[in-house]
Amino acid sequence: MNYEPSELNVADPEERTTPRIPGRAESPTPSPASPGGAERTSRVEALHATRRVRLERLNAYYGDNHAVRDLDLTFEPGHVTAIIGPSGCGKSTMVRCVNRMHEEIPGARSEGRVLLDDVDLHGARVDVVAVRRLVGMVFQKANPFPTMSIFDNVAAGLRFVGTSRDEVTDRVSAALEDAGLWSEVQGRLSNPGMSLSGGQQQRLCIARALAVEPEVLLMDEPCSALDPVATLKIEELIGQLKEKVTIAVVTHNMQQAGRVADTTAFMLDGELVEVGPTDKMFTNPDDDRTEQYVTGKFG
Amino acid sequence: MELEARHEYREELAQLERRALDGLQLVVASLDRTVEAVRHQDIELAELVIADDDVIDGRYLEIHQAILTLLATQAPVATDLRLIAALLHVMKNIERMGDQCVNIAKLIPIAGHQPPADERVVGNLVTMGNAIRAQIRQAKRAFAERDVEMARDLVRQDDVVDNLNRECFQLAIEIGDDHDRREWAMTMMLVARALERIGDNAVDIGEQVAFVVTGLFREFEDASHPGGVVEPQRSP
Repeated sequence: MNYEPSELNVADPEERTTPRIPGRAESPTPSPASPGGAERTSRVEALHATRRVRLERLNAYYGDNHAVRDLDLTFEPGHVTAIIGPSGCGKSTMVRCVNRMHEEIPGARSEGRVLLDDVDLHGARVDVVAVRRLVGMVFQKANPFPTMSIFDNVAAGLRFVGTSRDEVTDRVSAALEDAGLWSEVQGRLSNPGMSLSGGQQQRLCIARALAVEPEVLLMDEPCSALDPVATLKIEELIGQLKEKVTIAVVTHNMQQAGRVADTTAFMLDGELVEVGPTDKMFTNPDDDRTEQYVTGKFG
Repeated sequence: MELEARHEYREELAQLERRALDGLQLVVASLDRTVEAVRHQDIELAELVIADDDVIDGRYLEIHQAILTLLATQAPVATDLRLIAALLHVMKNIERMGDQCVNIAKLIPIAGHQPPADERVVGNLVTMGNAIRAQIRQAKRAFAERDVEMARDLVRQDDVVDNLNRECFQLAIEIGDDHDRREWAMTMMLVARALERIGDNAVDIGEQVAFVVTGLFREFEDASHPGGVVEPQRSP
């Protein structure tokens, strides 16, 4: 996909000098003069994960509680990064800083930089709505909009960003396809989203996140409420999606990290203890605390 | 933070290691009998060695099954995983050592009831057997104590055994023209060869000690790459 250079900025023509994320080099629609969605019809090219997320000296607080401490971490494009660590170690808070959900909590604040390529998503002039379109999020518990049909659940985000009616239909089916749900729901798109099974609901939420064509997908315990088969389907999906979007998965399930992640990061008490290739983290970690955690000696 | 989690699993793993390393004690017992049978060219004792190898094979099967169960049910990782992988190797080495004792025991009847034994050759083989016995015990201790230096020292001891093996070869060459004596000496060369292989197995166990501790598998010595480091092959 390509997105308008101004997409991350507040819609103010005076703000042309604000940070911009360049579109792909081969982007067929360089039209810088188009602030709306007029050029979006060109989104037919295949998606490839190209965006690198870099956290630099990230600190997050809930009031006086210092939940994330001086964290430096990179989510590489085309990779799945798993974040593991005991409850309360700050891993969810950390990913919620990436799409700026953390700041929604009263009394919560963060410091440091969250870079998508070279644009600071926490920059003063960056539009938070644009951030959430580029950085999608899937939660522990599937949360389809309860009153909406399957179709409308996926279309909700698209309508929010002003996609044309025809394109909505295409994009909904494409997103359901990408989420591995199309064949299971194609005949009953008008049924309520809540009529699906738990695993299907979670894939519906993934489809909803994918519909707006994010560059980054954050998943916070995406399988912890699912049975083993539904879990394996989501994991399979993560393996396919990583070609298209940069993925970070918070998980308590270390076997899951082992199965899906290329890179695993271990957090403890708000700090990043160790990050490395997943196979190394689970066979021969460098840090004693990682060793203790993955072998189940604490946590 | 330091609360004792997975208590039963830790206990199982520790027990598994003890049972596997005790297999080395079974090998020492079998080797002692084997060396005694060589010393006295004792066919009955040799037959006992052959029969008792079932105990070592049984231990191998027991550990193998226990490791499969632990892998399937506990999903061990990090040091635990390395330990389990190493124990699988160690147990295979133990089983091979037992088989070498059997190989030796089968050679003794071939030499006959009143073989034209040469004192110096027999003495050499007994010295070899004792050196290997010390090697096996040291391999066991090095593993139990995770002592890489002690494990590396097995290479030095193995050089002693290799030298004794070469001496045995020389003694066999010099044994004279008598047909029966030459035939006996040839058979004892095979005994020396089997003993020497047991020493190599002890060195292999030492390599597993280094693997458990460091996470890197490197052969201490490789006949095809003397003094060099062999890098793992990557699948294309």
